[in-house]
Amino acid sequence: MAPFDLVALLGVTGSYLVYLGIGFGFGFILESSGFGDSRKLAAQFYFRELRVLKVMFTAIVVAMLLVFWASALGLLDYDEIMVKETWLWPGIVGGLIMGVGFILGGYCPGTSLVSVATLKVDGMFFLLGHVVGVLAFGESVGYINEFWNSSYMGRFILPELLGLDTGVVVLLVVCLALVMFLGFGWIQRIIYGRGDPE
Amino acid sequence: MKALFKPQVLGAGFLLAAAGALALYGQPDLEQKWEFMAPEYASRLEYREVYIDPAELLHLMNDDYIELLIYDVRDERDWNIFHLVDSERIDLADLPSQRKRLEGLSEMGVVVVVSNDEILATRAWKQLMALAKPNVYILEGGINHWLNVYGIVDDEHQGHDTASLARPDGTLRHPFKLALGARHAAARPDEHRVPQRRYTAKVKLLKKVVKAGGCG
Repeated sequence: MAPFDLVALLGVTGSYLVYLGIGFGFGFILESSGFGDSRKLAAQFYFRELRVLKVMFTAIVVAMLLVFWASALGLLDYDEIMVKETWLWPGIVGGLIMGVGFILGGYCPGTSLVSVATLKVDGMFFLLGHVVGVLAFGESVGYINEFWNSSYMGRFILPELLGLDTGVVVLLVVCLALVMFLGFGWIQRIIYGRGDPE
Repeated sequence: MKALFKPQVLGAGFLLAAAGALALYGQPDLEQKWEFMAPEYASRLEYREVYIDPAELLHLMNDDYIELLIYDVRDERDWNIFHLVDSERIDLADLPSQRKRLEGLSEMGVVVVVSNDEILATRAWKQLMALAKPNVYILEGGINHWLNVYGIVDDEHQGHDTASLARPDGTLRHPFKLALGARHAAARPDEHRVPQRRYTAKVKLLKKVVKAGGCG
């Protein structure tokens, strides 16, 4: 039953090769989907181009279905998968900061790495700022320690929040993604008189 | 009609169908999950690797470095008659509520499940493994065995006879004169005053595997 201990199965070198392969595939898909271009990334916030949004949410929905179908069939122990724990208010504030940074800078931390791989100068500066920001946070977090550790909720996932079965929540998220694709496409056509190229 | 066969429409239809089927199929409950896990973990029961001697449990109860959690899964009546000090009574059906607590146990955390014999405790062990895979053990022979080892026979209010362990039926087979709960002398005997028993130590502390991941 997955997840497997890759180091035990393949050894350190073997597991690193698997990580390398996954990283290569991830980077390849991100770059080919336009995640390495800040103009395309930023354009989604103005409904000019929705490709990034569609790729991201399709990936989320497909991964979610694979994970929970694997769990339902006994192929994967979902409880053994790492899920970020929730600190509600710090998470909300952090999300806002990251969202503003994403719109202003055109990248999130991961996509800035993709852009650096294709030698985009704006990505390099974004990544440099990111590293400096990380260092600054590390030096200053002691001043906001109380807030930083507040509203801890542990491993808190949507089925717990909504009080629904996991399968029902998965169905709702898939519907949400599809409605969002249609709705944003509709907004795009109203504002710009065209949709994304098919 | 032609629009229906566009790749994105077909893809959306496939995702919806897969999600709808998943909602109907559901996720495994603890018993189903144990069935999935059994090939990997059932041998621990078969070879009795997780059944610990009362003396080992007593040692754990007196070890300040161990974060010991004792779940007593017997019914309330038996619990009121006798239970181990610091144990917590919980029904099997309520075990899922312990998930976060079990996940939060440190590397020094050890869980021991007790019942009158081993029947209920073994069921609880399976459910706990399916729930959070804690470092969990079962009291060998249950409370009946514990009382055979540590019960005090010369006290009028606490006295009882030795119970047969040959045919475990899940009942408390020691006749008590009073329901003393954890006030019974055998609820936490003095480790240094009771007769020393030889036993094979089975409890091993687990090294916690750090789960990692996320997306930038």
